[in-house]
Amino acid sequence: MKVPYSWLRELTGVGAPAADVAATMSVRGFAVEGIDLQPDGDAVLDFEVTANRPDCMSVRGLAREVAAAFGLPLREVPSLAELRDGQDSAVSIDIDRPDLCPRYAGALATVAVGPSPDWLQARLRACGVRPINNVVDVTNYVLLELGQPMHAFDLTRLSGPAIRVRTARPGETLRTLDGLDRKLAPDMLVIADAERPAAVAGVMGGADSEVTSTTTRILLESAYFNPLSVRRTSKALGLKTEASMRFERGADPALPARAMARACALLREIGAGSADGTLLDCHPAPPQARRLRLRRLRLAGLLGVTVPDADVLRILDALGFAPTATADGWDVDVPTARVDIAREVDLIEEVARHHGFDKIPATFPGLTVAPPASDPRVAQARQLRHVLTAAGFFEAVTFGFMGEPAAAPFAARGDLVAIANPLSETFAVLRPSLLPGLLDGIGHNRRRELADVRLFEIGARFAQASGERRAVAFAWTGAAEPPHWSIAPSPVTFFDAKGIVERVAMALGVPITVEPSDADYLVRGQSAAIVCGGARLGLVGRVAPAIAEHHGIPREDVVFVAEIDLDGAAGHARAATRVEPLPRFPSVSRDIALLVDDTLPSATLRYTIRAAAPPSLVQVREFDRYQGKGIPDGKVSLAVRLTFRSPERTLTDAEVQSAVDAILGAVRTRHDAIQR
Amino acid sequence: MKALPSLPPDQRREFGSRVNAFKTEVESALAARAAALAASRPPAGGVDVTLPARERAIGRVHPLMQVRQQVEDIFSRMGYEVLEGPEVEDDFHNFEALNMPADHPARDMQDTLYLASPIVGGIWGAHRGRIPESQVRAATLLRTHTSAMQIRYMKTFPPPVRILVPGRVYRRDDLDLTHTPMFQQFEALVVGEGVTMADLKGTLLTLARELFGDVAIRLRPSFFPYTEPSAEVDVSCRACGGTGCSVCKGTGWLEILGSGMVHPAVLEAVGYDTEKVSGFAFGTGVERLAMLKYGVDDIRLFYENDLRFLEQFPV
Repeated sequence: MKVPYSWLRELTGVGAPAADVAATMSVRGFAVEGIDLQPDGDAVLDFEVTANRPDCMSVRGLAREVAAAFGLPLREVPSLAELRDGQDSAVSIDIDRPDLCPRYAGALATVAVGPSPDWLQARLRACGVRPINNVVDVTNYVLLELGQPMHAFDLTRLSGPAIRVRTARPGETLRTLDGLDRKLAPDMLVIADAERPAAVAGVMGGADSEVTSTTTRILLESAYFNPLSVRRTSKALGLKTEASMRFERGADPALPARAMARACALLREIGAGSADGTLLDCHPAPPQARRLRLRRLRLAGLLGVTVPDADVLRILDALGFAPTATADGWDVDVPTARVDIAREVDLIEEVARHHGFDKIPATFPGLTVAPPASDPRVAQARQLRHVLTAAGFFEAVTFGFMGEPAAAPFAARGDLVAIANPLSETFAVLRPSLLPGLLDGIGHNRRRELADVRLFEIGARFAQASGERRAVAFAWTGAAEPPHWSIAPSPVTFFDAKGIVERVAMALGVPITVEPSDADYLVRGQSAAIVCGGARLGLVGRVAPAIAEHHGIPREDVVFVAEIDLDGAAGHARAATRVEPLPRFPSVSRDIALLVDDTLPSATLRYTIRAAAPPSLVQVREFDRYQGKGIPDGKVSLAVRLTFRSPERTLTDAEVQSAVDAILGAVRTRHDAIQR
Repeated sequence: MKALPSLPPDQRREFGSRVNAFKTEVESALAARAAALAASRPPAGGVDVTLPARERAIGRVHPLMQVRQQVEDIFSRMGYEVLEGPEVEDDFHNFEALNMPADHPARDMQDTLYLASPIVGGIWGAHRGRIPESQVRAATLLRTHTSAMQIRYMKTFPPPVRILVPGRVYRRDDLDLTHTPMFQQFEALVVGEGVTMADLKGTLLTLARELFGDVAIRLRPSFFPYTEPSAEVDVSCRACGGTGCSVCKGTGWLEILGSGMVHPAVLEAVGYDTEKVSGFAFGTGVERLAMLKYGVDDIRLFYENDLRFLEQFPV
């Protein structure tokens, strides 16, 4: 709300420099966003008015705040016309919907349309309003001064002439002042004449009854409309006006008559015309006066500071609350303009605001019970960050939504969660996976000549079937290790990625295994499902080149990714740690080389070995894998180290040999494996 | 020495001792030189220690998460329960119970992204055992603030309450220098007997000083539907010490968060007795704090995940 300093001074007599007024009002709840110095030496202050204070979308409302802040008397608005309440045979006013329009005041006037005087035009301009003609300018001046939206109809263009405040009829339209033809819905309140709508109530007037240079008789409107009704209509029409913004936040139901008297006085004062002198005030549902109680103990109890009684009285009085002292505090009458004041706490805020938030001391709330432990997921995220950053990964933060084409490959058909009102196509669906965002991150870095990129993210992902679930994911492209003159560069492989997956699983405390996967967005043969307790927790593998390319990564680049469902893992996390005694007897190792089908998963072979061995087999580890000269096609030579140990005694050679024999027998029977 | 037999016997002794002396001299000189040469060579297995190290890859925690972790630590130390909540919410918890009924103008302050069809929300509060409504059954929107968790928590647990809720929130905002459609927020809520606005101020001052060093704070009256009184909180500008500069646009102050005393309507919505308990709440965007702390002037840098940006932050 732009207000010339001179106007504020007129209403308050404030003498402090504009910059001081701005600084003071900023800590009273009205931030000043700018001070615009005028050529004539005046300054225009641009106040930010919060949505709960429609009463301060006016010079008078802000003047009251300035007066209260500086301890000055608030001066009355100059000159009001004397208007008699009454009926007028020239025009009838009927309100069909008193719930949506509890008050409608009209007045007739004879006018001579022309330009407004310079002072009035200058004030409008200073407030950011374009002067139109003297009649319209008067309505805008009263809007700015008092906050009451007004409208002037060309009386001769109204059929009847009659005013009916009703909802729109099916199919009705109205060309509004901005020249657009508006389709009106049946829940929209309109100001109609005997035949058709002449204005959208509280939003904008109609072009047909607009005041023009030839207008001689006008009907001035000064009304109160239901905030919700105006808000819905304004939204539905996509039409936000100075009037609608005030009505939807809540106008002053007592103001229409006073604003009319002010407008009629101004018309006369600037020689624009003269009112007939009758106020056609339809006020079928006057609001109840509101009385509130403010308790002294409550005030001090909530603020943590005692405000002296005299200051409470001074503040409430300055703001127009007409306080009276009671045994335990004060009774106040809430001014009709103060739509934000509904209960005691609102009064506490008023007192605190003008007493000064700076007078509130800084204390610390006491603990009365032992605080509960925090969500372990917070600590878990930190643990994951430790493990992954130590493994060379940078934490990424990516958006929770993305374009549908980027998301689709990562979700089952129909499982994407769409946003009903996306800002753009690039934010159309919630992410089904953290991977597309990470791939975007890889692509971004690749385009900036960074070839070795490791990223991870922890966050939520979304699906129709499973809803919102948390996951951790990483993506890795480029070298497996930072380059060094002592080693040959080696690109990241599946087993590097799998190693990180195992670390993450360790950090999560879940035992995992992997099995081949056929996820479409990964390269078949280089991807695996991560399994825990029979349930799939995630995937690890090489990104399909077509997917990588979609994210700005060259097709030939090798990118490995993995994603693990944290909600799923939570159910498998191991319980309390129990320590096992350290081994007291030496272990015995035997290496065996087996010729097996190269399609045999090593996990299957390992399973067979374990199943055939006595409990003294404590470790099975592949240490070499060879294909080539001397090995038949379709076969592979796998070297395995078997480690045996007993917790009770030193094993004998015979015992170990018989275990190895049993193992060799089992792998021969089950897998045709021959010892080399 | 071959000439020795041909010398007269009386000269042989002297000649022999002179030759021997010469031999000893040459040998010791050779040995000295060999030792000197050997000393200048690296020992067996020695290396040039000034060659570059075999680097071990190390990543970074994202700057937004570094700030978030710092905030979590500050509040943990002050006895707050840190917990996470669902990112998709329903209208009741995100708006209605926070004193923003349907068609409330304040809803315009937070332009909301809605889901085309409802989904099940994320789990919260599992660390507190079995709780009712540990999941949002039918989430219809992306939460616009972490305040939604105020309601979930207070509906589930009686006062006193002292919680910190960090997490992602979503708004229907265009991407520009200072806005992103998704950002990180944290929310603190304290409710109990005799909790005052002075307690709010003391807590905010502690937070500001932990984050920014020796700064002052200023509370300015503002409006949020879920707090009354409400206050915007400014921290004195460190760049100029409060005298006014380009960072603080000449005001000497930088706005860092929104706060207030929990509105009685909110306490009533969760069944708390407003005559017995009161509370305060505050929340802010982690991005804003991170931008101030690290001197970042474009919020989008946090979401590009450019390694050249990320590697500037401490390990």
